[in-house]
Amino acid sequence: MKKQKLKLRVERFDLISNGVVILFALLNLFPLYWLITSSFKNSTDVVKMPPDWWPATFTLSNYIDVFKNQPALKWTYNSIAVSLVTTFLVIIFSAMAAYAFSKLNFKGKNIIFIIFISSLMIPKEVMIVPLFRIVQDFGLVNQLSGMIWPNVASAFGVFMLKGFFDTTPNALREAATIDGASEVRTFTQIMLPIIKPGLGALFILSFVQVWNDYLWQLVVGQDKTVKTLMVGTATLMQDLNPNFAYKMAGATVAAIPMLIIFAIFQRYFTTGISAGAIKE
Amino acid sequence: MKILNHYQKENITGYLFVLPQLLVFGLFLVYPIFEGIRLSFYQINYQSEKFVGFDNYVTLFNDPIFFKAIFNTVFFVVFIVLLTVLFALFVASSVFDKNAKYVTFIRGSYYIPVMVSMVVMSMVWSFLLNPANGLISYYTRELGLGNINLLGNPYTVMPVIVFVTFATNVGQSIILYIAAMIGVPKDLFEAAEVDGASRFQVIMKILIPSVKPITLYIIITNIIAVLKIFVVIQLLTGGGPNNASVTLMYYLYNNAFKFNQLGIASAVGVIMFIITLILSLPQLRSMLKDK
Repeated sequence: MKKQKLKLRVERFDLISNGVVILFALLNLFPLYWLITSSFKNSTDVVKMPPDWWPATFTLSNYIDVFKNQPALKWTYNSIAVSLVTTFLVIIFSAMAAYAFSKLNFKGKNIIFIIFISSLMIPKEVMIVPLFRIVQDFGLVNQLSGMIWPNVASAFGVFMLKGFFDTTPNALREAATIDGASEVRTFTQIMLPIIKPGLGALFILSFVQVWNDYLWQLVVGQDKTVKTLMVGTATLMQDLNPNFAYKMAGATVAAIPMLIIFAIFQRYFTTGISAGAIKE
Repeated sequence: MKILNHYQKENITGYLFVLPQLLVFGLFLVYPIFEGIRLSFYQINYQSEKFVGFDNYVTLFNDPIFFKAIFNTVFFVVFIVLLTVLFALFVASSVFDKNAKYVTFIRGSYYIPVMVSMVVMSMVWSFLLNPANGLISYYTRELGLGNINLLGNPYTVMPVIVFVTFATNVGQSIILYIAAMIGVPKDLFEAAEVDGASRFQVIMKILIPSVKPITLYIIITNIIAVLKIFVVIQLLTGGGPNNASVTLMYYLYNNAFKFNQLGIASAVGVIMFIITLILSLPQLRSMLKDK
């Protein structure tokens, strides 16, 4: 009798808290819903109050304007190029270093690793002035490569992939060495395929992080045609065009690639984000 | 002789594997730190540099806007991190033991704004909050509260930024907590249930203490992320009204790229660097112990 009552109370608490969780989840998605639906409204409907919760007249003209008045395609290309190249470099360099820290023995290994780790929490933004001057000295201002290299310097990938290499059995590597495989061969043909899930997770995390690296891209890409999608879209806010729907369409264009990536790779995000955190 | 060669060879292989990462790391991360410290003692005019000792720091500490920036940044750190940790704990502890589809749905709903990025979310919120024709302003008028400009009022602008930043980014912490809570051994709960503990008691006494390492990680990474809060300030308020929402990163950016005060901007960077370094020490210690 007593036990039954307790169980009921427990369930009610659970029910209420999950109700709140769902309510907030929907509320959290509302701004995006509002953004996307508004971007299809015409310039008068978008500011109409009380609002239309669904576009009364459905128009694509805002999107046509964004792509016609702004180099939005170029911005998209820039964002994709910067994110992809950065991510590939991050993966190659981090995997090599992580492999060395995990499986090879060399003098000074621990000290170098500690220095890498110590930098993990320091955002590059605090050193944006010297970083900008260095990039300037290399002539990389207004170049996509100026946006790329500073992000390759992050030690996060090294830290994350070392965790994956640490879990692989040493016997495998030793067997390959006995068979006469070179270190490079062992690395590329045996070890890398084993840690594929780690590489996948790092790929996603790095891609998204670079895609959203607003401040640095704002500083480096000053000409209109070298801006990335995020920076370019943000300039629409200061655009003289008073049509709100036009700006909403720009913001939607900036949001959509990430929404697609998330829909496809959701699984990897969970592994990736958790693998980046410390282990218990 | 042969053995010596073997060791040397292993040394060289190791260095070659680390070299590419080490080079970029040195050039774009370590060197800027030392260069930043040096620049903070100089007055910089385009190509000419003049050593001025601690002048830049003195200027900073005589600027009321700098103190406003520090105060605002600390305000954001405290309230955003607190809200994020409490809310993420609440969401994760409510859903972690439910069926996989439901967990995926909740995780996705909260994570989508993170993916879509602070830039897009700031734009959406600025439309919603626009005093002339924003949705929120419309409803405050309908409710008889009059014309309210939440972003134009120095008393409401700070809570609004706290909320927008929290709502956009909380998904990251929720994912971490859910993963950690799913990993807590089930026998711990069963024992408590047999003893007649309620769900609330189990969450408070067993679940939350078991995910303490993740809590520490979330707190530190969020503090550091909020410390450099910039996008939402630039796109939503521009530091205004009348510097009421200026932050350290925004102050640094303006000095460097608007007012061309590179020495002063470097000094702000050095101060922020020291703060992040101190804040990350406990996390570093636990990571090194892990190793």
